[in-house]
Amino acid sequence: MKKTMKTLILAAMAVSLLTGCSGTSGSGQTEGSKAPETVSANTPEADGTSAQADESQASSDNTADVADDKSYTIGIGQFASHGSLDNCREGFLQGLAEEGIVEGQNLTVLYENSQADGGIASQIVTNFASQKVDLICGIATPMAQSAYGIGRKQNIPVIYTAVTDPVAAELANEDGTPVGEITGTSDKLPVTQQLQMIRTMLPDAKVIGIMFTTSEVNSLSAIEEYKAAAGDYGFEIVDIGISTTADVPLAADSLLEKVDCVTNLTDNTVVASLPVILDKAAKKNIPVFGSEIEQVKIGCLAAMGLDYIDLGKQTGRMAAAVLKGEKKASEMSFEIIEEAAFYGNTKVAENLGITIPEDLTSSAKELFTEISQ
Amino acid sequence: MTLILGILEEGFIYAVMALGVYITYKILDFPDLSVDSTFPLGAAFTASAILAGVHPALTLFLSFLAGALAGCVTGFIHVKLKVRDLLSGIIVMTGLYSLNLRIAGGRANVPIFTQETIFENRFLTDHIPETVSPYTVVIILFIIAMICKILLDLYLNTRSGYLLRAVGDNESLVTSLAKDKGMVKIVGLAIANGFAALAGSIYCQHKGFFEISVGTGTIVIGLASVIIGIQLLTPENGTSLFSRLFKKELRPTTAVIAGSIIYKACISIAISMGMEANDLKLITSILFLIILVVSTERRKKVKAHA
Amino acid sequence: MLKLNSINKYYNTGTVNEMCLFQDFNLSIQEGQFVSVVGSNGSGKTSMLNIICGSIPVDSGTIYMGDENITNMPEFKRLRRIGRVYQNPAMGTCPHMTILENMALADNKGKSFNLRPGTNKKRIDFYRENLKSLGLGLEDKLHVKVGVLSGGQRQAMALLMSTMTPIEFLILDEHTAALDPKTAEVIMELTDKVVKEKKLTTIMVTHNLRYAVEYGSRLIMMHQGQSVVDAAGDKKAAIKIDDLLSRFNAISIECGN
Repeated sequence: MKKTMKTLILAAMAVSLLTGCSGTSGSGQTEGSKAPETVSANTPEADGTSAQADESQASSDNTADVADDKSYTIGIGQFASHGSLDNCREGFLQGLAEEGIVEGQNLTVLYENSQADGGIASQIVTNFASQKVDLICGIATPMAQSAYGIGRKQNIPVIYTAVTDPVAAELANEDGTPVGEITGTSDKLPVTQQLQMIRTMLPDAKVIGIMFTTSEVNSLSAIEEYKAAAGDYGFEIVDIGISTTADVPLAADSLLEKVDCVTNLTDNTVVASLPVILDKAAKKNIPVFGSEIEQVKIGCLAAMGLDYIDLGKQTGRMAAAVLKGEKKASEMSFEIIEEAAFYGNTKVAENLGITIPEDLTSSAKELFTEISQ
Repeated sequence: MTLILGILEEGFIYAVMALGVYITYKILDFPDLSVDSTFPLGAAFTASAILAGVHPALTLFLSFLAGALAGCVTGFIHVKLKVRDLLSGIIVMTGLYSLNLRIAGGRANVPIFTQETIFENRFLTDHIPETVSPYTVVIILFIIAMICKILLDLYLNTRSGYLLRAVGDNESLVTSLAKDKGMVKIVGLAIANGFAALAGSIYCQHKGFFEISVGTGTIVIGLASVIIGIQLLTPENGTSLFSRLFKKELRPTTAVIAGSIIYKACISIAISMGMEANDLKLITSILFLIILVVSTERRKKVKAHA
Repeated sequence: MLKLNSINKYYNTGTVNEMCLFQDFNLSIQEGQFVSVVGSNGSGKTSMLNIICGSIPVDSGTIYMGDENITNMPEFKRLRRIGRVYQNPAMGTCPHMTILENMALADNKGKSFNLRPGTNKKRIDFYRENLKSLGLGLEDKLHVKVGVLSGGQRQAMALLMSTMTPIEFLILDEHTAALDPKTAEVIMELTDKVVKEKKLTTIMVTHNLRYAVEYGSRLIMMHQGQSVVDAAGDKKAAIKIDDLLSRFNAISIECGN
């Protein structure tokens, strides 16, 4: 037992030694430090919230005397690399900038990506907490949950985005109010607008096919919503479940036998294999609709989708309010984007022999004239 | 300080799992991949059980049993159906993935933020003074890891434990002792996977949610902990770094726990130095290789001097 | 005591490499006999031991130990009553466990391997005495791992371990073959002592004709799955090494060697 204690103490010492080293090198390597670090010079008393005051006091040296703004450090944890999630992050920083919190000036951003590894996600958040960030931004559900798991113990507010169903993820109560110091934006699909758009473009279509991963919670709830709303627009939904990427080709063949068109969710596994589905559908001349801009870019006919940059911006503005101390995260319900935008790909339309109706193209947020790989 | 606490917390959680890997990899000499699925099995089971109102402390015990059962299946496939060791692990790992999703109610993600856990419950908030509270979690984890370690040490010194060590060392001796070596292996795999599932249960309660992806690479973390701990800190290859510094030898189980903490510290440092998660696996494998090569070099030297 | 009745054993059945090892092989060993078995490579000596122990199954025939039919009994169950020492000294001990732990393991044979302490402290003196009788100084190295011992020391331990608990039958599978001549001599004397002390029924396979002649109460020479010489009692006592050698040569010529 004595031996055990000794080892553990040794291990603990080794750890503290190692982290001591990294502390010095770490601060120089963070993403936000391309510009010389601004010397923060606030006085704690001038600040609104006491929690933030504590943190800034700990992290800043009171060398300069007066400055207009206080500076912030935030950690952005992204669960996976993925076009829409990247857009979320970009929009998030833009949103902050609109509120006067600009990376490189008064904002230091620590950014980490867990590449879809749950274990790494929680360690990333632990690291953020240890670097005394003022706020953690969690992109996608697992990262948001990790962030909240750590943040609530360390009193660090969390802002999330790209969480489809915050209530199911236990990040928000049934009425939309936060469960703690956590709020953000949801990327729930605009199902009815999508159905309306498909009806406009394909007046004769009857059956819509949807492929989804059986283990993705978000996809399940989206399917339910599609099924509930399809009747109103004269459609029938045929769904097919897969469990891994390897199932996609066979599932696609089977699905394409039964349907007039296909629409896509934001299902991670399916989106990753979208080129396979597009290729098979193109051969059978079956249109495939997307759920967001990136999918249209690579060959979906059209989408009534969320603009993830806008979603990010909206999230960024919420974060700014929390950072400035105007509002607490726990005082803001999570938000969704009501207005979906139309994206179309004229090249795909041409290939399919479809003309995108005038009233859609005129209101389009963006029209692509080629298919990018 | 938060970082050190974070590393210790992560280290202790995974140390419990690493003790299991120590049994399979080091004692049984059985490359058991099923831990990649028994770790999330413990997490999935815990999330569902806690939501169903089972006492959080009891879920630890039940998760151990669930993991042990899965370990028995791996053992049965290997021993009775004569499937190769690596393959039996892969079969169980693949099958359990689906089963884990079923256990979690068909969902890949089950949050239990609002539930009581072993780390957050009324008893703790009532009885733990404010000044200690930042350390409660790490203390609880330390105690759990220690209990597991001590129990394992005790077990390895029982008759049954002797047999377990013997089967990895020399199978034919076990047969000579009129014992079914297959049964002994099954017992070993059951204990190992029990530990992995227990760690998964602790993980789930610590993070506040179950997520199907947490199991990915568990075996790598386990192996890394065992290899780092055993190769650096025990006298297996002549003189260890530890015995040179402290003139004392370490129990392998202690070394495994220390190895887990060191590994998590390395990962944490790599992340805070701006290393991308993409590169972590490569770095881990290089770390593996270096330790293995260095320790075999040293073993050669020891032999040359003998 | 031990009876093999019309044993048939083929290797690679159904392939072009099909090879008949035993065809209607019979052997019966009385209680208390010490049987030395000699024979050229491939004559079926070790296969016979494996068949007795259950390491390999037979195609047909029956094996009786005492009154019990053990033909279909799994290996580990048979070994409850059998002690076996292998040619390779590493096979009889656990290299990563200490001498004391190895002794304790062997001492538990036949008892249940439950959660009681692996080493019974009260038995340590008994183990020490046993080790002392080997005269190799192992009694002072109780906490040393067996892996660092020499082949001879390990084989001595293996012999000690396999005969520590009450067994009815001892099987020695060329157990001196991997040792240097001097150590082999020591182990052989030790074997004789143990067998006599414990009055064990023993089968010893050896390539050393001198041991076969000097030790034991019965001698069998095997060739192509049959016993070509089988002598016990006075007949055995009269056999000389030269007789065996000439017999060997005769067989070799028959085979065209």
